[in-house]
Amino acid sequence: MTTLPSVGRLADSRRSKRLTQRSRAERWAPLLFLLPAAFTLLTVSVYPVIDGLRLSLRNTMLSTQEDAFVGLSNYVRLTADPDFWSAWRHTMLFTAASTLLETVLGMAMAIVLYETFKGRGWVRAAMLVPWAIPTVVTSKMFGWLFDGQHGVVNWLLMQTGLIDGYVNWYGDSQTALLTIIIADVWKTTPFMALLLLAGLQTVPHSLVEAARIDGAGPWQCFWSIRLPLLFTTLLIAGMFRALDAFRIFDLVYVLTGGGPADSTEVLSTLSYKVLFSGLDFGYGSALSAAMFITEALIALGFGLFIVRRMRRDNG
Amino acid sequence: MTDHDDHVGKPASVGRRQFLKVAGITTGGVLAAPAILKLTSVASAADRTNITFASAKFFGKRTVAEMVDVFNQSQSRILVRYDELPPPSSSTEVHQGLVQRLAKKDGSPDVFTQDVVWIAEFAGAGWALPLDEYVTANEAAAYFPGVLAACKWQGKLTALPWYVDSGMLYYRKDLVSKAPETWEELVAAATDIMKAGKAKIGFSWQAKQAEVLICDLVEFVTSNGGSILGDDGKTVHIADDAAVEAVQFMYDTIEKYKISPPDVRSWDEEPSRTPFTGGDVAFLRNWSYVYPICQDAKASSVVDKVGVVPLPHFAKGKSAACLGGYQYGVNASTKNRDASVEFLKWLSSPETQLLFATELGLAPSRPAVFDSAELGKAQPFMQTLKPVFVGATARPVTPKYSQVSLALQSAVSKAVTNGNVADALKEAKAKLEGIVGA
Repeated sequence: MTTLPSVGRLADSRRSKRLTQRSRAERWAPLLFLLPAAFTLLTVSVYPVIDGLRLSLRNTMLSTQEDAFVGLSNYVRLTADPDFWSAWRHTMLFTAASTLLETVLGMAMAIVLYETFKGRGWVRAAMLVPWAIPTVVTSKMFGWLFDGQHGVVNWLLMQTGLIDGYVNWYGDSQTALLTIIIADVWKTTPFMALLLLAGLQTVPHSLVEAARIDGAGPWQCFWSIRLPLLFTTLLIAGMFRALDAFRIFDLVYVLTGGGPADSTEVLSTLSYKVLFSGLDFGYGSALSAAMFITEALIALGFGLFIVRRMRRDNG
Repeated sequence: MTDHDDHVGKPASVGRRQFLKVAGITTGGVLAAPAILKLTSVASAADRTNITFASAKFFGKRTVAEMVDVFNQSQSRILVRYDELPPPSSSTEVHQGLVQRLAKKDGSPDVFTQDVVWIAEFAGAGWALPLDEYVTANEAAAYFPGVLAACKWQGKLTALPWYVDSGMLYYRKDLVSKAPETWEELVAAATDIMKAGKAKIGFSWQAKQAEVLICDLVEFVTSNGGSILGDDGKTVHIADDAAVEAVQFMYDTIEKYKISPPDVRSWDEEPSRTPFTGGDVAFLRNWSYVYPICQDAKASSVVDKVGVVPLPHFAKGKSAACLGGYQYGVNASTKNRDASVEFLKWLSSPETQLLFATELGLAPSRPAVFDSAELGKAQPFMQTLKPVFVGATARPVTPKYSQVSLALQSAVSKAVTNGNVADALKEAKAKLEGIVGA
């Protein structure tokens, strides 16, 4: 009988040992599982950003073999560079205009696609086609559509009497950026519509039904029930879109190359030219850092709005 | 095989066994052949001096790789390995690839090809071997003077000519009795043709904010006796009267004479070419690749109606054609200098240039090769281009060409779009002085 307690004690100590082992494993396992993701993020995302910032403090140029620490002089040069500021303005203008247009049009599309009608599934799928087309193809397509000599857009506008002479769409500094905005809106509105459609589906149907019973019309239903409930989704989608639009490159690169007269030069094309044509890694990195900072500010602005909105909704 | 034989004992299978034996040996032999061949080539590679050759990808009936094989088979002392870069249409990537390789200074590649505008950059960085001691004055005199001049940096020969291309004037023989020699004549002829309704566009050229705008700029400015940079590569002449007048003329073709549509502001080579081969244009400035398209009945409605001449000039200047094309260079840190120079000289020899002309359609940089009967038979049009290439003029020669070009693209695009020529060029001058100034 003396063995029993001792066995019990042994089992007890074994159990506690196993327990500490398990709790240690439990503590380390999640970190271990996170390691590959953390490693990947560090190597492909954090390291390049930090290295970019480091390069922006140097005058590294491949062709002349210069590579020395120059402090903030690249940034000083940046603030006095009219090309940078004109590209910055074009980028902001493009971002604001395309995000706004895509949100409004995307909202309209989402509302239509939310309603039940025959062939809705097909329409929802077909709607995504412009978004699925590679941007370079879109650029070439819009190049032909808006061609100043043989473009369909000019022909249609002439036929309907909206213009008296052919417009030189992307060869004129007044209309080139507009053409690029139109192309981007055509391509990305379906993506916005999809995001907003998902948001619409989270609005409880009972609320809309209750409003209808109370005698609210469709406009009132939208304005007083759906839109306020959709607002957070709208802000998040808008933020995604704005951050994406800010990086606009392919449309400009293929369609205008930044011209005419720099009128479509955006930050991405400018830094591409400085970095890869000029191989001026120092100044080019400062340009990229300026892009990064602007994007961070845009994200912060949206983020503050979203957080405030969410707090109000929950509280 | 023997193992198999031991186990097959039936007399009836003797025929099959023998068949299997023969078939097995044959198959084995065929399978082993590449390995055996490789072995012998590796054996001979060990005796040979190995060098590498990096070049942008060109192809016609044959490729650059096949041309390298021609050299490898022609002698047994040197073995060249070919390092293929992207095609010249991806110029930025080719440049990047070369800079990355050369900046390592490990002697690889030994020999390379470079766009004519990079010669000063590579020489200035000390990556290109000076070739003066390997090329006699007589040998140098056998190239087009413009091409050879472009191969020099600070008086030293740092590249050897490969092939030449340049801007030229295409005109419609059926609309114009005599090709214009001055820009004035071109404006008059184009205006008449447009008035008579024989062509919608008088003169098509390229004003897209891109490298080609600088090529057109060089031609207009040089044909007015002006220049962009001085011979020292440090003084800036882009705001001098000759240059301002020339750029004003570029703007005037669109807004004053109206012989060029505003669309040229977004046109590079191909968009400016399509209306010409479509029959809508009287005069076109473009490169030599356009001619074969003009003569292709499937793509062109102007077959046999097109003539090619040197570009016009202003009263006080001479015709100028912007020099294009790729040239050869030797890596300054090569470990096999003699073998590299030997391969280089083979590449640039009259025989090899003729081969490149007939097999890859690349125009020779030696005038003598143009007169050969073989070229006349294989590329009759190329032969007629000799007078065009004589006037080939280099773009600004400076190690910082890429930055100079980007600054000019922006300024000249502004000038031909807004018409404030003097202001735009003054601004460009200040920018260029910041880039190339000592």
